[in-house]
Amino acid sequence: MSHQPLRETPRVVAPSFRWVSRLILSLEHSFQRAKAAGRAEEDTRVRIFLIRIVFGALFVALSAGAVNSALFRGEAPTFGVGSPGAVSRADLVDRNGHLLASNIEHHGLFIDPAEVWDRELAKTQLKRALPKLSDSRLQRVLYGDRRAMVMGGLTPQEKARVHALALGGISFEPEDRRVYPLGPSAAHVIGLTETGGKGLSGAEAAFDADIRAAGRMGEPFALSIDLRVQGVLENELRAAAVENAVKGAVGIVTNANTGEILALASYPEFDPNDRSASMDARMNRAAAAHYEMGSVFKSFTVAAGLDAGYADLATTFDASDPLKIGSRSIRDFHAQNRIMTLEEVFIHSSNIGTSRLAVEMGPAVMRRYFQNLGLLDATPVELKESAAPVTPRNWTDTTLASLSFGYGLMATPLQAVAATGALVNGGEFVPLSLRKGGQQGGRRRAVSAQTSATILQLMRANVIKGSGGRADAPGLRVGGKTGSANKLVNGRYSSVHALGSFAGVFPTDGPADTPRYVVFILMDEPANYPRTGGFVAAPAVGRVIDRSAGFLGVERAADRWRTATGEKIPQPEDLTEAAQ
Amino acid sequence: MTALKRLFDWKLRGVRVVEIFGAVIACALIFSVYVTKAAADRENRQIASLEAEIADDAERVRLLRAEIARLERPDRLESLSRQAGLQPVNVEQRASVGQIETLAPANEPAPSPAAVDAAATPAATAATAAARAVTEARP
Repeated sequence: MSHQPLRETPRVVAPSFRWVSRLILSLEHSFQRAKAAGRAEEDTRVRIFLIRIVFGALFVALSAGAVNSALFRGEAPTFGVGSPGAVSRADLVDRNGHLLASNIEHHGLFIDPAEVWDRELAKTQLKRALPKLSDSRLQRVLYGDRRAMVMGGLTPQEKARVHALALGGISFEPEDRRVYPLGPSAAHVIGLTETGGKGLSGAEAAFDADIRAAGRMGEPFALSIDLRVQGVLENELRAAAVENAVKGAVGIVTNANTGEILALASYPEFDPNDRSASMDARMNRAAAAHYEMGSVFKSFTVAAGLDAGYADLATTFDASDPLKIGSRSIRDFHAQNRIMTLEEVFIHSSNIGTSRLAVEMGPAVMRRYFQNLGLLDATPVELKESAAPVTPRNWTDTTLASLSFGYGLMATPLQAVAATGALVNGGEFVPLSLRKGGQQGGRRRAVSAQTSATILQLMRANVIKGSGGRADAPGLRVGGKTGSANKLVNGRYSSVHALGSFAGVFPTDGPADTPRYVVFILMDEPANYPRTGGFVAAPAVGRVIDRSAGFLGVERAADRWRTATGEKIPQPEDLTEAAQ
Repeated sequence: MTALKRLFDWKLRGVRVVEIFGAVIACALIFSVYVTKAAADRENRQIASLEAEIADDAERVRLLRAEIARLERPDRLESLSRQAGLQPVNVEQRASVGQIETLAPANEPAPSPAAVDAAATPAATAATAAARAVTEARP
């Protein structure tokens, strides 16, 4: 029996395995010694035994590991991908969490004609269950040669109706659809998405990426609007629009301090769930339509004059005769034919007075203030519909006179609201926003805090003593400015085609940082006389303020003119008149 | 080594005890792996079923929320309120919390029979209550 020479332990071995090599070699030595001693059978048995032990130990170790990892290790495996409740587009909610738009699973109806037994019966029953099903499409699929979709967008109720027919060859496939449960309410603010889910208009387009990101997180996306105020605005705007038989109307409520749009309505309305709505109804007139606003602009002219030091409340303007600029003669609608103070110019809405002031300020000053009030650029709001104004090319004296009382510049209602907000919030231009909390940045000084306080005083006086009396709401210290303008039709201003507006603010008292709200209503081409803002728009503004003040946290209180319940407080001049 | 060898050579009916022991352990391990995997599979199926249920419930919640929003539409509520003869609250109808004590009821209500009863003796109260119960029970 030949002995094979034992090889020595290799020198280059990893230190951690050296002891294993030595163990195996020592075992081999013992086996060879046993063989040499004539006990070869024991050598074989021991080898088999050792191999069994090694395999047994390995198997036990693997089993223990498997049991451990299956039962005791780590957390439960995750099955879903991303956040629970993730959707392609987030729910849109108002500032208080009320639902405005949501993605709801709809179903596509499929038919496999090979599995339909009685096609005529199936056709009759399906038409009865789904009256809006297209006849030609149903006929084509039922008598076709392959499975095909007959109709998409079935609601769960419609699906249940078809399912209850128990017809063969019918199947459903889920599809995600955007629904607007409020129908026409806030439709212009919310906007629309296309079938593929991309935002087309309104907040859906303005915040498209943010809405998708929130959807992936399974969280809703909050807009700045308050559905309660929105409801009040829409109901009052609709009532006023019907009463005045208007062509179109706009209503806006904003927080002047933060720039948040709390409500926005455009008339005529449309239902975003109805894809056949006309383009005219779909147009958001607050952001995309231009108007020569009329006397609402007098607030901006008077503010510029006060702020630039060209006038104070006691400064007088001669409005006893029409103002001649070149061949043009400027008259007053409510002619007083006398010399008036600036306050009287504002309250009696004197075109002559504001024209004189504008001409005195000159184009540079007027342009600077109009620029700072955001009247020469598109409103910096998130809405993609926000249109740029139509501004005058040459700022001549006659242009300045026109601008001073709201002609010669076509602005969007949102521009007028943003500029009014800057006049009443302490003098800062704040970009409007549909995002809850408002936009960050973009603020600039438009007028001084002192000018802002004076404008508030003038606006309140205008409601108490001037053309805005119908906008007052008991105890809410409403101020504002009416606007009435004739529209340009075929190159001429027509007295038949007019618009009336009212830019209101409340409350007008309190310190500079008091939260103030701007309520703006515009009636385009009212059919009933009188067509001025004081009659067609101011009453609606008053009702909106009266009904929404509670939602906005504005308490009713007395001021120097009226009690908290709206009764008149006698003024010194009243007593003087009574004594005479 | 002798003890080990004796253990190794220990046989029952010609089969080594070591081998029987090994086979029993192997069977136990196989069975435990089967039980473990079956339990894990059962839990997986339960988790999948619960997740599907959660997804269905979430969809149902979304649907119901949309239905609530539809029913609470401002124009619908206003229209229903007007049909019911309701109108926006007038300024004279409002009061702050501080004014509650100063508000007088429009018509002073007459003292209720219960208040009169409470002032009477307990026996009389019980008799009155029983009499009232009889009166109310009559058609």
